[in-house]
Amino acid sequence: MKKNGNTWKLFLRTMRVMGKRGILYLLAIVMMSGTFAMFGVFSALLMKRVVDLAPTGDLRRLGITIAGIVAGGVLSLVCYRFFAIIYNVEAKRVYGVLYEKVLDLEMKLPYSYYETHHSGEIMSKVSYDLGRMGDIYGSRLRRTLMPFLQVLVFLVPMFFLSWQLTLCLIAVNGIMFAVDMAVTEPMREASRSLSEINSGMTQRLSDLLQGMEQARMYRAGRETVTAYQEKNDLYVKKTKRVIWLSACLESSSRGFELMCLLVFLLLGVYFVQKGYTTLGALAAIYTLYGNFSSQFLQVGQYFPQLVSYLAYAQNIFDFLEEEREQEQMDGLQDEDSSGSEMAVRMRDIDFSYDTAKAENALLLRRFCMDIRMGECVAITGASGCGKTTISKLLLGLYPVQNGCICIHGKNVADMTKQEWRQKIAYVPQEPYLFHGSIRENIRMGRLDASEEEIIEAAKLANAHDFIIHLENGYDTEAGERGDRLSGGQRQRIAIARAILKGAPIMLLDEATSALDNESEQLVNDAMKKLQRQMTIIMIAHRPSTIALANRVVEM
Amino acid sequence: MQKRKRYFLRYMLQYSYFLLGGTVCACLLHFAIVWGNSVISGVIDQMLAGQEIILRDFMPGFLLLMFAGFALAFIKQIFFGIYCVRVSGIYRSCVAEKLYRVEYAYLKNENSATVINKLNADIAETENLLSTGVPQIIMDVAALLIYSVYVGSLNLGLLLLILVTYPLVFWIAGKMVKKIRTLTGTYRVKSDVMTGIAQDVLSGILVLRSFGLEEHFQEKMHQAAADLVDNEEKRTRVSNNAMLVRKLIQWIPTIICAVYAALLVGRGALSVGGLLAFVVTLGRLAEAFVGIPFDFVETAVSMVSIRRIEEILHMPDEACGTQTKGEDDSNVVISLQDICFGYTEETLVLNGLSLCVKAGEHIALVGESGGGKSTIFHLLCAFYQAQSGSYQLYGREISDWDLQAARDRLALVSQDVFLFPTTVAENIAYGNRDATREEIVEACKKAQIHDFIMTLPQGYQTLVGERGAMLSGGQKQRISIARAILKNAPVLLLDEPTSAIDVGTEELIQNALDHVMRGRTCITIAHRLSTVQNADCIYVVNDGKIAECGTHAALLAANGVYAKLYERN
Repeated sequence: MKKNGNTWKLFLRTMRVMGKRGILYLLAIVMMSGTFAMFGVFSALLMKRVVDLAPTGDLRRLGITIAGIVAGGVLSLVCYRFFAIIYNVEAKRVYGVLYEKVLDLEMKLPYSYYETHHSGEIMSKVSYDLGRMGDIYGSRLRRTLMPFLQVLVFLVPMFFLSWQLTLCLIAVNGIMFAVDMAVTEPMREASRSLSEINSGMTQRLSDLLQGMEQARMYRAGRETVTAYQEKNDLYVKKTKRVIWLSACLESSSRGFELMCLLVFLLLGVYFVQKGYTTLGALAAIYTLYGNFSSQFLQVGQYFPQLVSYLAYAQNIFDFLEEEREQEQMDGLQDEDSSGSEMAVRMRDIDFSYDTAKAENALLLRRFCMDIRMGECVAITGASGCGKTTISKLLLGLYPVQNGCICIHGKNVADMTKQEWRQKIAYVPQEPYLFHGSIRENIRMGRLDASEEEIIEAAKLANAHDFIIHLENGYDTEAGERGDRLSGGQRQRIAIARAILKGAPIMLLDEATSALDNESEQLVNDAMKKLQRQMTIIMIAHRPSTIALANRVVEM
Repeated sequence: MQKRKRYFLRYMLQYSYFLLGGTVCACLLHFAIVWGNSVISGVIDQMLAGQEIILRDFMPGFLLLMFAGFALAFIKQIFFGIYCVRVSGIYRSCVAEKLYRVEYAYLKNENSATVINKLNADIAETENLLSTGVPQIIMDVAALLIYSVYVGSLNLGLLLLILVTYPLVFWIAGKMVKKIRTLTGTYRVKSDVMTGIAQDVLSGILVLRSFGLEEHFQEKMHQAAADLVDNEEKRTRVSNNAMLVRKLIQWIPTIICAVYAALLVGRGALSVGGLLAFVVTLGRLAEAFVGIPFDFVETAVSMVSIRRIEEILHMPDEACGTQTKGEDDSNVVISLQDICFGYTEETLVLNGLSLCVKAGEHIALVGESGGGKSTIFHLLCAFYQAQSGSYQLYGREISDWDLQAARDRLALVSQDVFLFPTTVAENIAYGNRDATREEIVEACKKAQIHDFIMTLPQGYQTLVGERGAMLSGGQKQRISIARAILKNAPVLLLDEPTSAIDVGTEELIQNALDHVMRGRTCITIAHRLSTVQNADCIYVVNDGKIAECGTHAALLAANGVYAKLYERN
């Protein structure tokens, strides 16, 4: 019982996502049901008139009634169309809204989430679970609700025509419904575990796509395919349970359908014989019942599906409850920062990726660093000593266990992360270029930048010359992995983007380490041009890059 | 023109015996309904003729019929269910297999988010067709046939009337299919856009976050969602018009048939029991009759998905020969002759490039970025085929080689180190699945990464996170070197091997590489000219050609491109 309560709560929650528009949406479903059912009622009346009038041979009366009935039928269908459009548009609207919500969260998770979760897992939430959840609004709910409402509409004339028969039919349908309900819960569990396997499969597939070079160069690549296929076999195996359950459903649906038909006709004959009802009413009830039972069956069929789809909604809600990155940094000590002319001041920083770790296993311990404004500093050191960690901390991607960070003379504890990150332009080791043109990618630095400013930034980054020599110039697609552009070219675009941002501090995380000499030269050139205009922090190990710095911090 | 192979159809036929079993059950189920119906219509006529009806006489037969109904429906569904799962299962694994074999260029060109979305959404759609679409068509066709025979036995004229009026429905429905299909197509593309944005955000999260681009992407997604709603409005308008027409058309023949049946009764050509039986059956017959074309509309929608999957399946496989060994007498390991190659037809990256590497030689490739050095590696690994020219590996044309065998001879350490989201040990064992733990440790020691691995919380069993997110560039690179060491291939391709290594370890790694390179043929793409001075031959790549080649000393003496590069350093 408690579980049913949870399902109901989950359902209400799914509806609340729509807000006020939910009322319009539900109203549209109600009206769709009403108008559609009316069409069925008109059909039944037609049959009643035909059977009642056939033996009398009165064609004129037959003609007039038919004309009336047809007019009613057309009218109800036209109304139906009107509401159906409202319904569909609202359904897609909420899907879009949900997508926006999920994306919003996807962007704002704590940084550690991305490093500990496979992007295939997150993408599976977005493209699989969310798609299924969208289906709840788009079809599953309507398919459950409409038959139910239509059944109510059909019951009224049926009771009028013969209440005895109608009661018998309801009894049989009741049993059927009970069977369906019994299958609901196991069905839901089965589909939840299917969804998990599917997410595992998505992961394998994205491994295969992203690591395709390795997958092909090594024989082990074969095994990624094999692993996928094993998951697939597991999926097939698990599906068998779903098949079995759905066979039970189908059996109950079809079996009872047959039972109703036979019992109904036999009883009907008996009632007509006893004079409780007429053959015409029997025909009408039958026609109505045909609609009634197929709708009733659909409630039975689609209700478990709706419930099983709610599992996807649950996945999405769970995801949406993931903790967001905090607006402000915690774990920072307040320190009087007044009068500080430092661009960056890190004081007594304790840090470890694993927060549960003991004091002696800290990656950074009582770490202090001061960088004056306008300075160009290189941070260097052996691999694994925490250089990249420093840049992650400067960007506020991880909370520190202890200590204090000031950026541009202001304690970061007094800033939101947005404000904080405004002050730093970051160039990562692997420059990610977004889907879109080179121009759009540079503009990401400052969205309201003019064309001139973009070109100016590109020139400063030594990128302008190669860009204009590309076939489409600034409109060249930078693409997902920007394969047509070399590493050096991509890096210079990333630097142009950082320059455009106009932040007082520029942070380069091994920005030149993957570049060839010539590209490095061009990048270093650009750095020289910028040196006096801003504070530059370079995490680097190349002597040629380090040589640019006014000061070297050895870690 | 050769006919394209239809994979989906083939798998559907492969398991068609399940489908057949389901079909037989479906037919029997409909037959049971007809049989019960005809008994009752006889009873009504008896009753109207004034005879007393005793219900008890019919009960045992009807009970039997009912249980048959339960059993048949159950078995039918099991058949259809197994059919669906078998076909879609084999289809899915066929697609995964294809992704492994498909031409490298295809995957590089396609947005990989589109591919993943395709596989998830389209395979779900395919399953949908198999689990509901196909059984529905079978049920409807079986119903159509069985009920037609029954109505024909009641009155041939009625059957003829039905057969004349209903084809009209097919005709109009056929006209609508096209319109709905094109609109559904665009709808799908719209949802690809949304998935693309989500993927983009995820991959570029670091940049996005440090630039505070959250709102920008939110706005982008908002736009995409608005487009989706817009599209939906147009789409439902069309599909609901189709619905409206469908319902009305479905009605017209019903009306005509009912009136005609009434006339028949008036003339005494049909009994009242027969009329009632007809009314009962007509609804079902009409449902099947009208349902069939729309089943096909649904199928057409699924076909969009299947077609997209088939499109992937029909992309050319990587060209693969059968030879697993080179020409024995050849001591030239790699020979490129007049290679022309471009990623697109228009722009050539390599333009008449030739080079030759003998066994045991150490070759260095230097030159400006974008000059095509990495492209040479792409060709050597047979990720791409040259447009013209010849590439021989161990004296045999690459096209004659079995690809796996050819790649077994090459160990590639590329710039873009991809680590699989599993343990460190498994990532290294990727180089050679049969390697023992000792061999793995040995390789790691050679690659100077063993000590680091031992400091990790679970040592070799530590999970590296996606794309090795928890590791620094230098660590990743060394893991990839360990992987290559373990592979133990005779030819080593090093793309910028020391570039991402940190100061302290640079010398160590260089020593390690020297050790690994000993006794192997080795091609290095180098950016620091200091690291290549010992090479047997340095090739300077410029404008897609070899500008000059020779030893360090010879090239300096020649005072050409290399000398300039060297000066700049």
